Amino acid sequence: MIGLALKRLAQAPLIVLVVYTITFLLAWALPGSAVINDEGRQPPAAVLEAMERQYNLHDPWVFYWEYLEKASGVEYARARLGWTQRRSEAPVFDFGPSLRHQDWTVNEIIASTLPVSVALGLAAIFFALVIGIIAGIIGALRPNSILDLLSLCLALIGVSLPSFVTGAALLLIFPVWLGWGRVGGWGQLTDMLLPAFTLSLPFAAYIARLTRMGMIDVLSADYIRTARAKGAPERTVVLRHALKNAFLPVLSYLGPAASFAMTGSFVVEMVFNVPGVGQHFVNAVLTKDLFLIMGVVMIYSTLLILMNLIVDLLLIWIDPRTAV
Amino acid sequence: MIKLLVPIVLLLGAIGGVVISDHPLPPSSYTFAQTTDLFTLDPQRVSYQQDIRMSFALFEGLVRWDNETYEILPGVAERWEVSDDGLVYTFHLRTDARWSTGEPVTARDFIYSWERALRPDTAADYTQMLFHIAGAEDYFNWRSEALSMYSALPDFERSIDAALGLRARSLERFRRSVGLAAPDPYTLRVVLRSPTPYFLDLVAFPTYAPVHEATVERWTSIDPDSGRIEQRHGWTKPDHIVTNGPYLLKRWRFKRDARLERNPHYWNQDAIRSESVTMLIVSDANTAQLAFQTGAVDWVEDVIVDYLPEMLAQQDRGERNDLHKAPAFGTYFWSFNCRPTLPGGRDNPFADPGVRRAFALATNKRDIVEKVRRQGEPVSDTFVPPGSVVGYDADRSLAGLSFDPERAREELERAGWVDRNGDGVPDNEAGAPFPVVELLYSTNSYHGEIAQAMSVMWEKALGVRTRVVPKESKIYKDDLKTGDYMIARGGWFGDYGDPTTFLNVHRTGDGNNDRGYSDPVFDELMARSDAELDPDERMRILAEAEKRTITETMPILPLYTYVRYYQFDPERFRGVSMHPRLMQYLYELERIE
Repeated sequence: MIGLALKRLAQAPLIVLVVYTITFLLAWALPGSAVINDEGRQPPAAVLEAMERQYNLHDPWVFYWEYLEKASGVEYARARLGWTQRRSEAPVFDFGPSLRHQDWTVNEIIASTLPVSVALGLAAIFFALVIGIIAGIIGALRPNSILDLLSLCLALIGVSLPSFVTGAALLLIFPVWLGWGRVGGWGQLTDMLLPAFTLSLPFAAYIARLTRMGMIDVLSADYIRTARAKGAPERTVVLRHALKNAFLPVLSYLGPAASFAMTGSFVVEMVFNVPGVGQHFVNAVLTKDLFLIMGVVMIYSTLLILMNLIVDLLLIWIDPRTAV
Repeated sequence: MIKLLVPIVLLLGAIGGVVISDHPLPPSSYTFAQTTDLFTLDPQRVSYQQDIRMSFALFEGLVRWDNETYEILPGVAERWEVSDDGLVYTFHLRTDARWSTGEPVTARDFIYSWERALRPDTAADYTQMLFHIAGAEDYFNWRSEALSMYSALPDFERSIDAALGLRARSLERFRRSVGLAAPDPYTLRVVLRSPTPYFLDLVAFPTYAPVHEATVERWTSIDPDSGRIEQRHGWTKPDHIVTNGPYLLKRWRFKRDARLERNPHYWNQDAIRSESVTMLIVSDANTAQLAFQTGAVDWVEDVIVDYLPEMLAQQDRGERNDLHKAPAFGTYFWSFNCRPTLPGGRDNPFADPGVRRAFALATNKRDIVEKVRRQGEPVSDTFVPPGSVVGYDADRSLAGLSFDPERAREELERAGWVDRNGDGVPDNEAGAPFPVVELLYSTNSYHGEIAQAMSVMWEKALGVRTRVVPKESKIYKDDLKTGDYMIARGGWFGDYGDPTTFLNVHRTGDGNNDRGYSDPVFDELMARSDAELDPDERMRILAEAEKRTITETMPILPLYTYVRYYQFDPERFRGVSMHPRLMQYLYELERIE
């Protein structure tokens, strides 16, 4: 297990470098100028030119290497060793300034928005697990019963309804009509309930189907019959013996699901006014904010590599057979 | 089973950690919602309206506007004198103006800040606003030149010391050549390069606001490679920023909120009607509506939902009274490309003013406003919004081309485009049909609907064929700058109370002249107005210049004057100015208890 972890960690910088290079090529190829405002005034041409030079926007080669050195901590190390004459209080991993949000560095933006998206994504996965597993068990215990069909219906709705519809409907019902919770706020635990629930629906639906299939398979297995024959109560059979094995496919789905939940929350963030990082994936590209694009993608790919690693390790820990 | 619980506990722990790290503040006197976050709080760099509004809450310049009448009121300067030739302004600063640190605000602070706005290193969008000061433009050009010479030096000649040396030489030159002087800490003398009747209006703008030198310098470094002074923007964060305006910045969280609280050092405490203000960023317009409905927000500064026409209908029926319409200091228009050819050497039919007039005459603006927009914008034939500038076109005699399909066809025929082969499409003398008219606009907005409506109008009235060309906004902007379009959507908001804030756009070679419009007669009129000392005569010349562009040469096709809808309950909130310049002083707004 430790060997696997070390191997995967050693691969991580290579993967991030490949991601960096591809992102750079795509972002550089975006049409338009990164320093010109889309609307309104233009500063004098001399100013625009100076800005392009300052950010190395005149030369892709220089940009690629200098940014890589700053983002990877090489520049920081050199400054600490006294090899460069630049006096700087820059952070170790310096992802540069945001071209559009002039007063913020990419580091600051990520530090303020990433924890929000991570928390929202994890909360959504938690909801998805609770809803999905309960619905899945009910379905598996009485296949093709009314309850099973009902949970299938709900799953279908969960997958098909876009979150801007569910989100807007929930906002209208709870804060506006019933006066529970608030609109547009963020910072209290209750502010997280509606967006996390909205975000969880597609995942819950999928988990419900996975659990149901797994349970139906497992419930007809020999060791379950043995357990029943020994006279174990049905509750113990289902929750202790069957669920443990039926849960494995769900657990391996959790890795990608958690990544999706943390990155794919753009619409939910908009509707519930959640100050997360999802919107910057989209907006940074639209405004060709090069530093923000590169920074967000690099941080995120690192995070995803770690998430997948954690889930894989958990899987091995719970069921050592998967290590093979 | 225990093992299964571990991931779940991990999940909950992570969520809890994020929530606990949040510290709520007590409710503020009022909360308002805006769509976009502030881009910058650096007054020398502000450019967007929300940034300018915030700048007025945090910083105070020499003078300020009355935002109901746009008269000039005293700010840090308690009085001022203007020389008879209009060239020398002497400001007398009040001695009780203080920074939030308690230090006095002095003339030196202004000179420091204006030099900062003028140096190309700062990259201020509004640098040109300071070019009215004698020697300012020369200084800007000199330093730009010096910097590019510096970066061409061989490596070993560029160092921090060399860059600091260049900076010292620049400051020396600034002191010698730019018309600014502080004979004592509370007197500032400004010499202009030519009389500028609206100079005080400019001085009220944030570009002219003071910043706290010690604080800003702490976040400044010099780049040995380029010789440029580099500003790190950490100084605008709540823990660092030093301000001299009515409010202190207590909190500013990225794309989330900002919190203002009364500045106890501000000289004019009586002007502050609300102890504290919360600015809430709500990117989704619909969510902003729901927030307003639940009372979480007292004022929505711009209602931009798609269902605004339906809300306006409710208001007409008396079912609501929270929408407040202000005409804006801006004009929505479409640009005609005036360059002789299009990229790739294609002929540009719109290089001919006669063709531009024909298309303008064939446009039914009333239909566009009433059937497409449905938001109550006033139809406009002029570029400067009617009645928005005191003393300009006072008798409202300026009139542009309005809808007249008959005359439109005549204009097109006179320009040489007649249907010669009977297929319904006009042809030129060589028999070539009128090129397919391309309407360029940026996606994700209402421009597409207007483009569709205009295409149909032009096809019907003129027989031309059309094609709409929606492009993503960066590409649209690029095409506009390179002149790769025939007709493109545009819009312009004025900055200061003078027609030149609009008309300068039409000058040959102006940085915002996306039409490539160049008219010697117009340029000559503008130059005459620059030199004219008599204000009435100057306004008359400017009106003549505008008249030419809206009846003869038509670089743009004005459609309507923008409007802004504010949303607030008139029984619970007050102080919002309805003036077209749309500037709100956050300290003058208040909730009615």
